[in-house]
Order: sequence, then C-alpha cells, then structure tokens
Amino acid sequence: MGVFEQIKQAILKTQPSIDENKIVPRALLKEDLAIDSLAQVELALALEDAFGLSLSDAELDDTATVSDVVSLVETCLKNQNA
Amino acid sequence: MLNRVVVTGYGAITPLGLNVKDTWHNLVNGTSGIDCISLFDTSDLSVKIAAEVKNFNPLDYLDPTTARYTDRFAQFAVAASLQAIEGARLKIDDTNRYDIGVIIGSGVGGLSSLEKQLDVLRTRGASKVSPYIIPMMILDNAPGQISIKTGVKGPNLSVVSSCSTGTDALGIAYKMIKCGQFNLMIAGGTDAAVTPLGVAGFTQAGALSRNPVPQKASRPFDAKRDGFVIGEGAAVLVLESLDYAVSRGADILAEIVGYGATSDAYHITQPSENSEAAIKAIELALANVKHDEVDYINAHGTATPLNDLSETRAIKQVFGRKAYEIPTSSIKSMVGHMLGAAGALEAIICCQVINEGIIPPTVNLENPDPGCDLDYVPNVARTGNIRLTISNSFGFGGHNSVLAISRYSGH
Repeated sequence: MGVFEQIKQAILKTQPSIDENKIVPRALLKEDLAIDSLAQVELALALEDAFGLSLSDAELDDTATVSDVVSLVETCLKNQNA
Repeated sequence: MLNRVVVTGYGAITPLGLNVKDTWHNLVNGTSGIDCISLFDTSDLSVKIAAEVKNFNPLDYLDPTTARYTDRFAQFAVAASLQAIEGARLKIDDTNRYDIGVIIGSGVGGLSSLEKQLDVLRTRGASKVSPYIIPMMILDNAPGQISIKTGVKGPNLSVVSSCSTGTDALGIAYKMIKCGQFNLMIAGGTDAAVTPLGVAGFTQAGALSRNPVPQKASRPFDAKRDGFVIGEGAAVLVLESLDYAVSRGADILAEIVGYGATSDAYHITQPSENSEAAIKAIELALANVKHDEVDYINAHGTATPLNDLSETRAIKQVFGRKAYEIPTSSIKSMVGHMLGAAGALEAIICCQVINEGIIPPTVNLENPDPGCDLDYVPNVARTGNIRLTISNSFGFGGHNSVLAISRYSGH
C-alpha cells in the first residue's frame, strides 16, 4: 500500500463519517474533510502508528491538504531512514 | 404565577429493551434483564453479573464519527432523548430553540473511556492519549451531544447525586419550568458503568449482590437480599409547562406535582439510621397534595440490606397505617440498578402505571423480612386505578430525592 492510500485509511479510521471519495490529494483537511483540532491530533496518532513515526502537533499544523500530509510523512520517513 | 408542569414524552434504553414499550412489556411480565457480564472478561472479578443493555447500536442515532468519540453513557442519553422528543411530537426550530433546555445527569460519566485511556497512558505514554478523552468522560457530554444533535439552545447541564441523579435532574427541570424560566426541558439520567473498574469498585464497597444466579440476584425487600445488581441505560422525559403543552397541542401523559430533596449529613455510602431526611424529602414532594391520595410508590428498592429497611421505615413514618395499603414495587428487581438513569426510568414507570393501570411487580420476593413488611407487589403484576404516585431515589452521600407524579386532571 502506498503512502497516500495508508493516509486515506488512517483518515477513514479516525473519521468514519467522511465520504471516502472526498479523500483526494487536493482535499482541504479542515474545509473539505471537517478535520478539526481534535481530529487532527487523533489523525496524527493514527499516522504515527501506521508509519512508525513521531509527528509533532506543529508539523501537522503546517499541513492544509491531504497532499501536504503525504509530503510530510514522506519527508519524515526519508529522515528516519537517513 | 407558578406553572403547572406536565410530561409529554419519554424514551429509554434499558436492560429490558431499546425503548419504553419493550421495557414496559418485560417489566409487567416480571422478566429479568440481568445476566452474566458480556461486555468484558470477568475472570478477575468476584461479581460476574449485571443488567447490561443488549443489542444497542449507536449508529441508529449517531453518525459513525460522532459515535466513535462518544462514550456509551452519552450514546444512551442521545438515543433516549431522541425517542422522548419524537414521542412528544416536539418540533425544534428558530421560534423555540432558546426556550428549551437539557438537564441530563450521570452518576459516573464515561468510565469505560477513562479506563481505556488510562491503559494507553500507562502502557504507551502521555503522547499517545486520545485528544477526545476529556469530552468523552465528562458527564455533561451527554446533554451537550443532545444539544448538538437537536439544535436546542437553552440551558444545558448535568446534575450529579449518585443514585438520585435521574430524579434530581427531573426535579430541577420541574422547578425551572414551574418558576417560568423555561417552557420545556429535556431531562433525565444515564449511566454505563458496567466496566471492570465500576464493577470492582462497587464490589469492594460491599454494595453488590454476590448471588451467582443472575435472574435471582436482585431481591429487593426479600430476607435473603444481599446487595444490588449493577445496571446501565438511560431514561429521558420531556417536561413542559401546561400552557406550552396545550398551545402546541401536545398529548399530556402525566403531571409532576411535587419534588423533594434533602441530604442525610451522615455517611458517604450508608443511609442514616433514623431515615429522618428521607422522610422529609417525601413530605416535601407531597407538600401540594394529600398524603392519603398516594396510591402507588415506586421504591428506590435497591436490595441492599440497609436501603430497603431504611426506605420501608421512611414510608411507614410518612403514611402511618395507610403505608400497608399502598402498593410499593421495585423495578430494580428486573433492570438492576441503572445508577444515574434509575430515577428517570422510575419516573417514566410511574407515568406508565397511571396510564396503563398496571403495577409492575417486585420479583424474587420469596422470603419475608420482618423489617420489610409493606405490600411490595410480590412477583406478579397487578391492575389498579392509580392516580397519584411517588418515586423515591436515594444515593451514596446521603441524597434523598422524591418526585410526586399525578394523572393529568385537565386544564
């Protein structure tokens, strides 16, 4: 499973009411997917478990779209493996 | 001028059904909702029975995300409230949303969520704790979720008085309407404390029955009673001023005619030795009606040795010789002790008794106790023309709360 697909599964797990078809790279986390501040922390915990990463609140605060989250996770994975 | 306060709708999630209709049917048939605990592994516990709510699906009432981040106790409350609102045929819109408040009490709140996140804290560390734990465990999440779901914008709060909670929530709502502060209140109680910590804690306090036979364990007023059986669920009523109910053409199910609340100032778990404050609470609830018109008592009747004796003593003190003629039953013999929901469900049952003319029995009453010698409607339901009832609730900490509920006698 690719990074995007794993992130999509983490969003669906933490926010099961979200329409799966709305989770696309350009989707805005807050406006399109209704991910508020609590949901953002819950999503960060799910991503940490899914990818074996440690994410700070500040890092996720800088993401606006699903695509931004994909980039963040990919960067963290790269740094972790470096 | 003081308002008259009437009941126009109610809903419940109980160990005997996922609505009032099924719960009532099972109660009048003497059916027990008590069984072996299925919600978690009980191998480490000495008490392995409870009155669990069965087959409840929160998705019948909440969207999947809200259900995921709402503790079972608040899920029950939303479900019972939506049933009550539907039963009352209440339309909530911009003309009335600020006139409607919600008071839903809970004895312990989101205990299950608290236990799960404590496990996370201790095994994985603070940074892994869910950001939803505080909203999920706080008691007022129940009325909060109801407000979010229905759009009502009046006062929104919880009351806590352990096992008197449901009765006090209704009593306070009654007073707010009576004094003209609000037209309509959605009020009741909820709890879901059938959890490892809940059962262990009540067991260690010596409050729970050790009887291993589930259906025989809750024995209010029986000589062989040895404690209550923990239950769970929610019960919610729609209370409104008579004028408001008439103006919107609501069906009136009963009238609340009194509320009394006192405290023992005595002990954190035991009732007082002379029942003085409990007697006072019943007297306060009956301040506006004649004692000799009471023709049904819904007892607190937990089946703890002390409560049943103390409650019987209070009833005899208030009603004198007439006490022996008033049918007095405990539905806790069948639904167990639903803690914060108990008093609210028992108020609904008083309305049902008035309207259906049937008194649910106290089951498992097989061995007379010389100290408990009233007419507890043993084992089999009874018919009766019931006009005025009282519902007693008493709680850890010395709470004594009583509602007087009457047949509606016209405008």
